Amino acid sequence: MRERAERFAVPLGLVTTVSVLIVVFYYPVGNVFADAVSSDGRPTLAPILDVLTDPFYTGIAHHIFTDPLGVPAGIIQWFLAVELSPSGLDLPPTSIGLFGFTAYQAALSTVASVALGLPGAYLLSRYEFPGRHTIRSLTILPFVLPGIMVAVGFLAMFGRNGLFNDVLAVVGLGPVEALFTLEIVVVAHAFYNAPLVTRLVTTAWESVDRRQVETARSMGATPFRAFRDVVVPQLLPSLLTASLLTFVFTFMTFPIVLALGGLQLATVEVWLYARVQNLELTEAAALGTIETVISLGLTYLYLRYEARQVATGRAGPSLARRQLVDGVRSLRDPRRLAIAAYGVVVLVVFVGPLLSMVVESVTGPGGEFTFEYYRFLLAQQTSSAIGTTRPLPAIVNSLLFGVGTLVLALPMGIVVAVVANRDVTGSRGAEAVLSAPLAVSGIVVGLGLLQTLVFGTVLFDYRITVLGPSAIVFAHAVAAYPFVTRNVAPALGGLDPRLVDAARSLGASRFRSLLDVELPLVASGVVAGAAFAFAISVGEFDSTVLLAEGVDSYTMPVALERYIGNRSLGPSLGAATAMGTVLLGVTAGSFVVIDRVGGRWQP
Amino acid sequence: MERRRFLRNAGAGIVGVSAFAGCSSPGGDDERPSRTESGTGTTTGAATTTSLGGTLRVATYSSFTGEGTAGNWLKSAFESEYPDATVEFTTPENGLNQYIQRANEGAPIEADLYVGLNTGELVRADEQLDDPLFQSLSEDVAGVDGIKDGLQVDPEGRAIPYDTGYISLVYDENEVEQPETFDALLEPAYEGDLIVQNAQQSDPGRAFLLWTILAKGVDGYLDYWQGLQDNGVRIMSDWNPSYEAYMNDEAPMIVSYSTDQVYYHGEGVDMAKHQVGFLNDQGYANPEAMAMFSSASNGDLGRRFVEFVLSEEAQAQIADLNVQFPAVEGVEMDEEFTRYAYEPPEPVTFTYEELAGNVSTWIEDWARQVASK
Repeated sequence: MRERAERFAVPLGLVTTVSVLIVVFYYPVGNVFADAVSSDGRPTLAPILDVLTDPFYTGIAHHIFTDPLGVPAGIIQWFLAVELSPSGLDLPPTSIGLFGFTAYQAALSTVASVALGLPGAYLLSRYEFPGRHTIRSLTILPFVLPGIMVAVGFLAMFGRNGLFNDVLAVVGLGPVEALFTLEIVVVAHAFYNAPLVTRLVTTAWESVDRRQVETARSMGATPFRAFRDVVVPQLLPSLLTASLLTFVFTFMTFPIVLALGGLQLATVEVWLYARVQNLELTEAAALGTIETVISLGLTYLYLRYEARQVATGRAGPSLARRQLVDGVRSLRDPRRLAIAAYGVVVLVVFVGPLLSMVVESVTGPGGEFTFEYYRFLLAQQTSSAIGTTRPLPAIVNSLLFGVGTLVLALPMGIVVAVVANRDVTGSRGAEAVLSAPLAVSGIVVGLGLLQTLVFGTVLFDYRITVLGPSAIVFAHAVAAYPFVTRNVAPALGGLDPRLVDAARSLGASRFRSLLDVELPLVASGVVAGAAFAFAISVGEFDSTVLLAEGVDSYTMPVALERYIGNRSLGPSLGAATAMGTVLLGVTAGSFVVIDRVGGRWQP
Repeated sequence: MERRRFLRNAGAGIVGVSAFAGCSSPGGDDERPSRTESGTGTTTGAATTTSLGGTLRVATYSSFTGEGTAGNWLKSAFESEYPDATVEFTTPENGLNQYIQRANEGAPIEADLYVGLNTGELVRADEQLDDPLFQSLSEDVAGVDGIKDGLQVDPEGRAIPYDTGYISLVYDENEVEQPETFDALLEPAYEGDLIVQNAQQSDPGRAFLLWTILAKGVDGYLDYWQGLQDNGVRIMSDWNPSYEAYMNDEAPMIVSYSTDQVYYHGEGVDMAKHQVGFLNDQGYANPEAMAMFSSASNGDLGRRFVEFVLSEEAQAQIADLNVQFPAVEGVEMDEEFTRYAYEPPEPVTFTYEELAGNVSTWIEDWARQVASK
């Protein structure tokens, strides 16, 4: 009986995963996208072509769609207009359109995130220092912060009178006018996404088998050669995964752009949001479809590449860590000095804004120290007025939804990772399609959930709505499981297939060998995936507010959002920053617990 | 016809008394019973008495309810006036769109009243839907005549304003001199000095854009904005982050509300940073209105609620708690409010008819000009 159950465990898991996806993702999102490709039941490309042929959206590229034959002549004309002047090349003005600019800033943000995240992975996986475990757990903290809190932190840190300029002034530099520039938007994107790079690459680096490097070295490879030929190929998939995710996320970035950069730096998502607000849903659907096609296309190309990577990993002891501080000699070691410089950058970009937000929560309008905002939270907690948002239920709901999401997203993500690693034609295509939750704009998902699950669907004369806490957990799990997959799939793919074959030949079911052989070997990926799943759930806002039944299913970010609108302490974000600090504290604690508990299963 | 007159009489009775109750406010409890009596006294029919109970489902924005809010006060005051009635708030995250979309999809509306409607939203509802989302109220509700002239935005009497803000500049007089006109904002002296909000998503941002259209005309506003852009105007997402940036000294002028000083006065507060400036001696009125859904299941109670909101006592309370101006003429506000909240010499606003068919295009053209790459 048990054996039979085990034999069907993986297929059953896949069927369950796909069913959940259909109900809370494909059906709602398809409902929105249908608007872009059909009109009165007939297929049409008009809405999408309207966008593609509009120079506002696609810049000069709109010629490709309006006059494809004229493109070569246009390019020649453009080159002819290039002039050599004393100051260098004079390029004729080129309009890149909203899509071009969105891709450009996403590319810059990806480069910045890698540049800021990669040294962190090196430090965390190759050096030993007190608090390393805790810091590793806390790396994904920025992930859960609502955009408005990041804006508050960045304003206090990089504003005209911010801490950064204060410090610069002490050294006789500055002031830097950072706000309303593309640079500050890119740095804010790196604040969100560099931790993704750090976490994913650290996981990969820690699972590099020490013995492989030792073998290479004993065969005469220089340390550099061993690094290039043994370590780098094993890091590359995780680094590229992280870059891809960063690009996709920042391509669909929304609140932070206008909060720090202003409308001049608007992205496609800003327009998509405005279309939805204005209920011009066809154009919104067209914009969302194009965004998703681009994101999914990139994801598919990447997965194809990943599949071609030769499996080199083998489970074994990780590389030995060096002591970070090595007495006075540390001061002469260029590597350790570089790490110290990196530490300063981390202080400025990550710790600075977070700390600034915490400081704002105890600073009154006149700059004085105050506990007023925390008293406000307490007053909300003890109030009996209907409609009051209380902090404690928000914390409890967030934790419950987070744990629920983790419990659901882990098996979903692992099942999809297993499917993705089967050597069957189309398995990568299947993973790309199953990764779609990453590639669809949050605004589109929200709109879809509203139109289907919230408003209800008429089936056999009954209007069926899917609402309440379990719907929230399902929606969170769907948003979260691709992170589990992306953490686990490369590691699973890297395992020696002979390990599974051996287990199967000894009579273990596919499920048994997965549970007893493979998963323990990729445990660090599973734990990292779990932490991401929890983080996604805690930070989620859009579907939480939509699927909440009644007014009591609010979470910490929802409470924070409501405190922003609360004017009882005057027009101040103080109460929200106090809630933001609570959010930070609670999630920081949770991440440490997840890593500690998860660490027990790691070999 | 008969019914209409009947209701109007009933309404007049209630408002007359509630205005009285508002005047003798502290001992309000004593007046309450007589108030209800006189209300039911005029409306002798048994049908009305029974219909004045039940649940009234009020859809609104989330900061209208909860501890210390206008919604909370209204609920308890209205429920003690009508002991058989219960007011239930629901706060959809996407505001009125929730109901426009529900109507579009044939989903149930599940609310009787909508509180917190602005003129542009009413325009959107009508453009999206074939059947009207709201019903006309002005005929059946007493007190509508008392609403200030400039705030009567809906000719069909569906949206009934209950309070208003005036959009103005707030500036730091230590840093800049007050700009008196829209043209002044184009001067080099104000380069990089003004923060506004995105008209696509923010109420004050949209009001300011509409105000520039009133001042510069439909043919002239884009050129005017080009001038503002050339002079380094900052267009941020929403009021909250933009005000945070203003308080962090990112710029010395911001588009905000003329009630700014109600929050910022008293000892130790630097009032220099909270000067209210009207451009061209105008302020753009952004009235908040309530409206009753066509599908409302408890219409009579809804109309009594609307009348109650327009009563003098409620008007003063709502204005005080929302830090906005009352919509009804001649409402006494407390001394502090009167002293620190400024009304523009000439309040201006677009009416429903002027916005209908235009407002989306105006905003889209503006946004495209700003964000063009």
